[in-house]
Amino acid sequence: MTRRALVVYCHPSPTSFVASARDRVVAGLDFSGAEIRLTDLYGEGFRPELSADEHATHLDAGVDPSIASHAENLMWCDTLVLVYPTWWSGQPAMLKGWFDRVWASGVAWDLPEGANRLAPRLRNVRKVVAVTTHGSPKKINMVEGEGGKRTITRSLRAMCHPLCRTSWLALYNIDRCSESERLMFLDRVEQRLGR
Amino acid sequence: MCATVGNNDTVHAAVVLAHPRADSYAHALAQRAVDGLQAAGHRVDVIDLYADGFRAAMSEAEREAYHGDQPILDPLVQTSADLVRIVDALIFIYPTWWSGLPAILKGWMERVMVPGVGFTFEERTGKVRPGLTNVRHLIGISTYGSPKSIVRVVNDNGRRTIMRALRLSCGFGVRTRWHGLYAIDTSTGGQRAEFAAHIERSMTDLR
Repeated sequence: MTRRALVVYCHPSPTSFVASARDRVVAGLDFSGAEIRLTDLYGEGFRPELSADEHATHLDAGVDPSIASHAENLMWCDTLVLVYPTWWSGQPAMLKGWFDRVWASGVAWDLPEGANRLAPRLRNVRKVVAVTTHGSPKKINMVEGEGGKRTITRSLRAMCHPLCRTSWLALYNIDRCSESERLMFLDRVEQRLGR
Repeated sequence: MCATVGNNDTVHAAVVLAHPRADSYAHALAQRAVDGLQAAGHRVDVIDLYADGFRAAMSEAEREAYHGDQPILDPLVQTSADLVRIVDALIFIYPTWWSGLPAILKGWMERVMVPGVGFTFEERTGKVRPGLTNVRHLIGISTYGSPKSIVRVVNDNGRRTIMRALRLSCGFGVRTRWHGLYAIDTSTGGQRAEFAAHIERSMTDLR
């Protein structure tokens, strides 16, 4: 069966290193024969702020009609790849807003009457891959608690298939690493996504 | 301790509030925090991110200016940056979503805590130095949909973003406090009222 991959890419600058990583993600997935849907949050001018109306109806099933295609893609994919820079130990606001708005009731979860634990809905998602860069070294991120990593591997993953695997492809200390280290990282990204 | 409030005891606090609805419990908590601070004679400024129309996403122009001499391009961001550099206490009030900060609050950190505000790069050593050495109290107040046991398992990432990542930008002597209301969907009115009262009380003993 053909893999169905949703790539969610988040960076404000089209010439960034993260944009190169996105290209290598797509190249790798393409090589593996996956069907690919690419979301460019900045490119499409996604609004990351959950609105008052959305909050008022957040227990009702479904998303705002303007982002219906995002929800549809999320329910379609079996592989979710998030490509972004880590800022303040987590996902950029733009990507966090995609979680806040698209991972909604009736899409990612249900809240049974009287319960306070979400029932997961995204059984279609069997693999979540994060491709990210960090300005700071790994030890600083450990002190900070690796919040971005845990948000994906614990909080979001809990809404996916029970056997969903997560994969963390991260380049640390990007401001001080050499050109060859950066290139090696890009090669690794393409290779891992091509498997 | 003398009961009168002198200049030396007065705390200047900034409350950063992130909830889309003006009738929300988060807004009620913010009001109680302000009441508590004012009752103790402290000074408080409130930043209501949604009411201000704060833009969460760092723009391409801002990203390009980030490492330059003038990384702030938006007057609304400048107002926050000016405030966080003079206050004694930073107080965040928000609902935890996906174990973290709502996008608008995460974006506030990204756009306000730029080089020269939240931290400085030391050219010679390449080290990052804290920029918020004026902040003596770092306080988070958050509501959670999940019970505390689940919040623990998923790592309470929003709390860590503030209490660890942002804390590194404050001075060594900063004192931290965390107030969480868990499993809010199944909480009773009495529990919410008690939590709000607790928030108000806790603000009166800041020094």
